[in-house]
Amino acid sequence: MKRRERRSRRRDTGSARGVPAVIPIINKLPFTEVLDDNGVQAIHQASMRLLKETGILVIDYPPALETFRKHGAKVDGEMVWIDEDTLMHFVQQAPATFSQLARNPTNTLTIGGRNTIFAPVYGPPFVADLDRGRREATLQDFHNFAKLTQMTPYLHAAGGTLVEPQDIPVAERHLDMLLAHITLTDKAFMGSVTSADNARDSVTMAQILFGADAIRQTPAVLGLINASSPLRFDDRMLGALEVYARAGQAAIITPFIIAGAMSPVTMAATLAQQNAEALFGICYAQMLNPGTPVIYGSFLANIDMRSGAPCFGTPENTLALYAGAQLARYYNLPYRSGGNFTASRIPDAQAGYESASTLWPTVQAGTNYVLHAAGWLEGGLISGYEKFVLDSEMLGIMARYVQGISLEEDDFAWDAFAEVGPGNHFLGSAHTMRHYETAFYQHQVFSMDNYEKWEEEGKEDSYKKANAVWKQMLKNYQAPPIDPAVAEALNAFVEHRRAEIRAGKPRSDWPG
Amino acid sequence: MTEELDLTTLSVEELYEVMGDDLYDGYKEEVVEGVKEALSRNVAPYDVLTSGLVAGMEIVGNDFRDGVLFVPEVLMAANAMKAGMAVLRPLLAETGAPSVGKMVIGTVKGDIHDIGKNLVAMMMEGAGFDVINLGINQSAENFIAAVKEHQPTFVGMSALLTTTMPYMKVIIDALKEEGLRDQVTVLVGGAPLNEAFAEAIEADAYCRDAAVAVETAKKFAAIRRQRAAAS
Ligand code: B1M
Repeated sequence: MKRRERRSRRRDTGSARGVPAVIPIINKLPFTEVLDDNGVQAIHQASMRLLKETGILVIDYPPALETFRKHGAKVDGEMVWIDEDTLMHFVQQAPATFSQLARNPTNTLTIGGRNTIFAPVYGPPFVADLDRGRREATLQDFHNFAKLTQMTPYLHAAGGTLVEPQDIPVAERHLDMLLAHITLTDKAFMGSVTSADNARDSVTMAQILFGADAIRQTPAVLGLINASSPLRFDDRMLGALEVYARAGQAAIITPFIIAGAMSPVTMAATLAQQNAEALFGICYAQMLNPGTPVIYGSFLANIDMRSGAPCFGTPENTLALYAGAQLARYYNLPYRSGGNFTASRIPDAQAGYESASTLWPTVQAGTNYVLHAAGWLEGGLISGYEKFVLDSEMLGIMARYVQGISLEEDDFAWDAFAEVGPGNHFLGSAHTMRHYETAFYQHQVFSMDNYEKWEEEGKEDSYKKANAVWKQMLKNYQAPPIDPAVAEALNAFVEHRRAEIRAGKPRSDWPG
Repeated sequence: MTEELDLTTLSVEELYEVMGDDLYDGYKEEVVEGVKEALSRNVAPYDVLTSGLVAGMEIVGNDFRDGVLFVPEVLMAANAMKAGMAVLRPLLAETGAPSVGKMVIGTVKGDIHDIGKNLVAMMMEGAGFDVINLGINQSAENFIAAVKEHQPTFVGMSALLTTTMPYMKVIIDALKEEGLRDQVTVLVGGAPLNEAFAEAIEADAYCRDAAVAVETAKKFAAIRRQRAAAS
């Protein structure tokens, strides 16, 4: 009886098909906070002062200047100043929680509240693995990372630019990336932000996939909109944001700050600046379309004062990450931050320590959307195959951690104490038999072998082990089934757009 | 802590040594004083430049490369150097001395990453180059206009995005079309670039970081000077 139950549970996990089901993360633990209420207020006030007195520079995008002017901000040239009342009037219109559609309805995301969503690395122009080292990324690599993402139960979203496919012409790349996300995974994906036209293409593809009405109701595309700190936004980002906001799609508004260069060296000033920039972008989205789902973003590294390179996992970054979460909660907004960051080029000890030093606070802060959760190397210049696998192990650990300590009657294991009594072991008790499979997180990559066994089996370190794991994952991968008619329509659009782009047409004349 | 030092009691060699220390410490006024003192001894402005300022900044550059100095310290040193240069520049022009070199630098169109480019500009200035920093998101037209206006020996381009890297080629082609390509040495940099890319777009060199950019520019400047002397 029991055995049959267990077997059926196994079938439920989907392991028979080789593609593990996604494991959602709802954080049951108290969040770590580093500011008291006065601290949050102090940062808020400083941001309001920055927005009112220093202002934000909006470069090369007159439509945004016009929008701000029309809604009561002071505009002069490319400078915008906005007061607290006007700003907060719009910021308040953003939802505290929202959903993002996924092709597989069970993978549709809830963003906000106590949910944490892990998404893979975004943006690197290079890939690296143990066999071939660092090299320019190709579409094949993009496909591989999409497949690995699909195969990782702790990655809830498909992400965006998993790698920059450098073998595809720049102007068409976004089409191939979107098509790969949609066909190779069934998780929620991110749209292109490299231009307003590309954002439009992303929306069109989501319309083909889900239907225009469906994505009006619930967003299907998430755009990553960066401020160009300090206190500056540019036309590309605001142009893409405008497309997404008007189409009712979602955006992460992130001031990506390397403190010391793009903000003052002190965390108080950096947080105030970050907060001002994020709220400015969020306010803009609401001015365009009230209720636009947005995520309050923070990506805070600091400069290495000796070389100018970004540093990760530093104590200052960690403090700011927690404080950012508090600010997002103060405004009732979902929060994006963190990931598995490192400046290291290979998954060595530095990479491990730095990544762990960012991932733990990311989770403990109550972060809702975690980009770069797997695969990040060399300050975001490399998507690492082995790093992806090792990071995923940590994500699994986090998924377990946030469940906290269960205090049900059975958790006190009175029957086990009665059965075993003092001085004996619990390995065979009925209570253990009921729970052993799930009681402890089961490592996928980290090895607990003793020295002799490890030596006998070839002294594989985790780097090498991870190399075998991703290869196996790619072997086990199975494409999630897709309606052939939808696939055909998507392909037709991509080919139509490709031809348009090659003919020098900037904007799609695709109906709808 | 600087103890009062009577510059007039020093030999020119000692002056240069003090100038080097002042540069290292980022003492702007002191560097200017030193330059003026040297000039008052009828030392050729070009000698003050090369044996005084440039030599002093070389130590700064080396210590930055070796991780001894912090970025803000190098910035202070570069500013002190610039102040010294401001005194020397008109005299150098008068005496017809060869200049260290002039660079127009910018981040290419579509790209707004500028921390690395600014670091390069700072180090170049520190090494005695005249730098015209165009800023971010610069079109080929802007580069061309700047080259025509400033007549630089170097064009520096920065790109951090694989999507904007190809635009460097557009700028190089525009330089060719305008007949300006042979006048300038084109140096390119940015994290996703490499030697092969620089070669493919027919730039003169790829620079991995700010220190290498300075070294490379100096190398090209020396070749130019040799050629000029030979012809
Ligand atoms: C003679 O001429 C020369 C010579 C040498 C030269 C030279 C010129 N230029 C540079 N050098 C050399 O010398 C310098 C000093 O030693 C060195 O300069 P570097 O610039 O390499 O080094 C600096 C000292 C420190 N490094 C940096 O400043 C860059 C760091 C990273 C993290 C980075 C930052 C900070 C930013 N970003 Co951006 N950003 C990344 C970068 C990842 C990385 N680790 O490089 C990268 C480059 N970004 C990326 C992306 C995707 C983006 N970014 C964007 C925006 C931004 C910020 C505005 C937030 C910010 C820049 C702010 C600023 N004022 O510069 C967006 C694009 C905006 C745009 N239109 O340009 C956006 C598209 C993200 C988005 N969705 O919003 C990725 C590029 C992928 C690709 N396509 O190639 C990226 C690798 C990170 C990632 N994984 O996503 C050398 O390269």
